[in-house]
Amino acid sequence: MHIPDGFLSMPVWAGLDIGAAPAVAYLARRAQRDLEESRVALLGVMGAFVFAAQMINFPVGVGTSGHLVGSALLGVTLGPSAAAVVMTAILAIQALIFQDGGLLALGANVVNMAIVGVLAGYLPYHYWGRSGARKFALFLGGVLSVFAAALLAMAELLLSGVRIPGPVLGISVALFLVSAVIEGAITLAVFQAIERINPGFIRAPSGRGAPVLAGLLVAAVFLAAVGVLFASAWPDGLEKLAQDAGISGRAKALIATPFADYEAGFLSSVWLRKAAAGLAGLALVYGVCLVLARAARRRRSA
Amino acid sequence: MHHVVLERWSRGDSPVHRRDARAKILLTLALLVLLSTAQDHLAAVSLLYFGALVMGLVAARLPVWGALVRAAVVLPFSAVFGLASWLAGEPERALALAAKSYLSALGVLLLVASTRMPDLLRAMESLGAPRFLLIVAQFLYRYLFIISEQAQHMRSAALSRGGFRRAGFRAAAGALGVLFARSYARADNIHRAMLARGFHGHFHMPAAARFGWADGLFLAAAGGGLALLRLAAGRLG
Repeated sequence: MHIPDGFLSMPVWAGLDIGAAPAVAYLARRAQRDLEESRVALLGVMGAFVFAAQMINFPVGVGTSGHLVGSALLGVTLGPSAAAVVMTAILAIQALIFQDGGLLALGANVVNMAIVGVLAGYLPYHYWGRSGARKFALFLGGVLSVFAAALLAMAELLLSGVRIPGPVLGISVALFLVSAVIEGAITLAVFQAIERINPGFIRAPSGRGAPVLAGLLVAAVFLAAVGVLFASAWPDGLEKLAQDAGISGRAKALIATPFADYEAGFLSSVWLRKAAAGLAGLALVYGVCLVLARAARRRRSA
Repeated sequence: MHHVVLERWSRGDSPVHRRDARAKILLTLALLVLLSTAQDHLAAVSLLYFGALVMGLVAARLPVWGALVRAAVVLPFSAVFGLASWLAGEPERALALAAKSYLSALGVLLLVASTRMPDLLRAMESLGAPRFLLIVAQFLYRYLFIISEQAQHMRSAALSRGGFRRAGFRAAAGALGVLFARSYARADNIHRAMLARGFHGHFHMPAAARFGWADGLFLAAAGGGLALLRLAAGRLG
């Protein structure tokens, strides 16, 4: 699910762009370090493979078919940081060439699919890839990568004020789950086919340095997305709960971040203020990213 | 294929094609932000921006109708969420989502159809995008067509044998496994060919063209024009 431009509100896209840009810069540097002899051609060609894989339809039940999404497969075969870079490149090409997903929304799509999606797809393999549960780990990776990305995208849309009635929300979550299970089955089947063609091609995970932090991060993001979905489906329930606990007022003060009221006060007309605030937000995103990149470079050279 | 047409368009010649890619990227971002923050008088804003984008297409000597149809690929997505908003009792929001997403896609399409891919990626690098990512994207774009064609051949071959439907899920997985192994082998060959030509792990990118006064003027005039159009929309609405 690629979010186009025009759907996310400014605090949501700007926040995710600020988060995604340094993360991608860090992952690119890690991938470059980990790859032997800087085999950049491999990453590009595997990205092209994921694109092309969408042409091969998998028959699923009567009259329907699915296709590979690929974050879990890439995570397992290339390693998580290289896979995240490849997925980011795929999302950028899709946004530019195929008008599939927006440019301002690129940060959101990268967080959903290239960062959380790849990590959620890779982590089960990292933990259980050596044990007897290897097959299940691959299946689970495929399921989690799609389900986590879809729930996150839904949560971002709801946070941006897109209204989705409760029943529709329930149906969509059920559909996400179905397509996630299909992705899991496809990931496992393709993985087994690759192993039949090239036995021993895919290395077992090293098992060293279990990324506990990454696991916690994915779990936290996942829970936050679920929380937003629940809150939107039963807004009254949450409000009532807050009132009962007497925390409504305090919560509002806490939530009122500087971004929540993002209008530059010195301009008179409403639309001009909104637009100027938007452009200033974009400049802010750019500035923060530049400063972070410079700081990272200084740390590296020190 | 879709991107072959775009590639041909991007190699055209027009006053828009000749402008510096950085100026066009910044202008596109300004358009996207102006659209993303538009709330009042949305109908007037959309109409005026639609007119501006059509003028941009004409100035870039691109086929207007073809571009308008191409940008409509976002509409199915917008329709799903528009319908959900409609059901939630907000028909205005449904229309706003459709208009904003369509115009944003058209804006990005105008940028990509009037800028050659290498220029676009180089401009992104000079605006601060990580170089490694851009090189991966460049390779991806380069081999997209080749690997897709291979997949297409395998699909035709499978269809002529009765399709995956009869053979089932495992056959499709087998086909993807073969495609994966072939792509991997191809990447190895490319890498070896690069080494044979003296590749040492560093890419030499040609320096970006100078950002001339014409580019600055173009950015200021077009950006100012977009802001003025929004002002005008406020007066009209």
